[in-house]
Amino acid sequence: MKIAILSGKGGTGKTTVTSNFAINIENSIAIDSDVEEPNLHLFLGGQKTDTESVFTSYPTIDKDLCTNCGKCGDFCNYNAIIPAKNQVIVFKESCHDCGGCKLVCPTGAITYEKREIGKIIKDKTSFGGDLFYGILDIGEMSGVKIINNLTEISNSYSSNKTVFIDSPPGTSCSTVAAVEEVDYAIIVSEPTPFGVSDMKMVVDMLQEMKIPFGIIINKAGLGDNEIYEYCKDKKVEILGEIPFDKEIAKLYADGKIFSSSLPKYQKLFKDIYKKIVDRRRAL
Amino acid sequence: MKINEIVVISGKGGTGKTTLTASIIPYLEDLVVGDCDVDAPDLDILLDPKIQTTEKFIGLKKAIIHKEKCTNCGLCHTHCKFSAISEDIVLTTSKCEGCGVCEFVCPSEAITMEDAVVGDLYHSTTTFGDFIHAKLIPGEETSGKLVAEVRKRAKKLALEKDKKNIIVDGSPGIACNVISSITGASKVILVTEPTFSGIHDLKRIYELCQKFNLKTQVVINKYDLSPTHSELIEEFCRENSIPIGLKIPFTKKIVQSVVKKKIPSLEEKEFFKEIGFFDFINTLT
Repeated sequence: MKIAILSGKGGTGKTTVTSNFAINIENSIAIDSDVEEPNLHLFLGGQKTDTESVFTSYPTIDKDLCTNCGKCGDFCNYNAIIPAKNQVIVFKESCHDCGGCKLVCPTGAITYEKREIGKIIKDKTSFGGDLFYGILDIGEMSGVKIINNLTEISNSYSSNKTVFIDSPPGTSCSTVAAVEEVDYAIIVSEPTPFGVSDMKMVVDMLQEMKIPFGIIINKAGLGDNEIYEYCKDKKVEILGEIPFDKEIAKLYADGKIFSSSLPKYQKLFKDIYKKIVDRRRAL
Repeated sequence: MKINEIVVISGKGGTGKTTLTASIIPYLEDLVVGDCDVDAPDLDILLDPKIQTTEKFIGLKKAIIHKEKCTNCGLCHTHCKFSAISEDIVLTTSKCEGCGVCEFVCPSEAITMEDAVVGDLYHSTTTFGDFIHAKLIPGEETSGKLVAEVRKRAKKLALEKDKKNIIVDGSPGIACNVISSITGASKVILVTEPTFSGIHDLKRIYELCQKFNLKTQVVINKYDLSPTHSELIEEFCRENSIPIGLKIPFTKKIVQSVVKKKIPSLEEKEFFKEIGFFDFINTLT
């Protein structure tokens, strides 16, 4: 089973929730799909066991074959290939690797070369299960390719393990890529106007994608009641609550998983997991 | 006239970008405000904007499959690098990046590329000046383009109305949305928090700013929650000669203002004065 943890708003506690599940649920693995700012390894990481580069491609032009006809530039919707007066200029970072320029080139002057955009790292965690996390190189425009590779990894485990996927904030293409094909999604929100507003966008996205979901309210007690009213009104299930607690905040600051230091919270994550299994079974 | 464009970003989400941006706004004169966090926009909650115009923003063209002309040859499926067209020729619109390869390879003209709306773009007025903001349709591509459009409009307004300052609330992360938010900015404020994750992400976002030769300064939010990590942040800033513009202690007062949908620096002016907020404001203009 694959469970995505997401939030809309950043900093509501996705990584906290993911790491607590990973250590409390047996036979699980963890994936960090927030490849722009991955943090899960700071909490779960242990021994790095494998590193794999992720590549994208970009066109190169054989000047002897190029007739400067301009068709590649006309076709490219990303302004990544621009025929200038005497030569064709390529902007590697803008290329989406769609393969179109090669298709339209009448003289076969275009081939593709690979360049690295980031890595996927496999860690043996101190809690037994494996952790895979992606990391996008700084200056790159999109981590979607790395996220798609992580999805393949999680698919290869999901038949006999529970896969917890720490997803990127927001609701843009990266988030969609991270939650694609998951069996269940957990939205981690906080009881503030920002938390609720951003959560609504995630709810819309998940409903559109037809993914079943529930909510964990983090920092409960810090804000107001709007989130409870919203959930009641929209019939969204609140799976559990994590109280606002300076002790938890301090453990987080130090890179520690709070239910490991405060065992009274272990049951919370086990109970939520049980609920999710039941909800999946009922579908 | 050179416009002073200040962009607030953080790398890590939830460090307090929007709260800080909103708190700065009342104290900058001659201002246009932009919210570039288009897939989780929250600045409007505190600014109480009066929307003047709403436009549909067209980010790119997307494929439309005309089933009546389709012969199920499968060429579009095999050529699409984004797995947007399934084996049985069904398009997943959110995966389409609008390249046009499918339209090109289709032998029966069953695919056309058509304008796709990716979000709404608003021009609003607030007590503090004009406000350009946007809302991405969940799951859409090209949020970077929408971000660039918000900035472009804010700049255009500032020029038209002879405004000296622009402030922009950015999004978390380091990829296209953030790159589109910061390129060419006059000043970048990096909001961080004293946690293990906060420092990790600050280093990455700082490196990104360095790539674009941007003038940066750091604000440490809730700095007293972990003195150890605050010291590590300060050490990193010293080593890299990054000025620390402001250190904000944790107080429930700020959350309470936000919950009341009020701008914290107006609600809790005394607290902000005590922490040197107004000296920080002076460094921005």
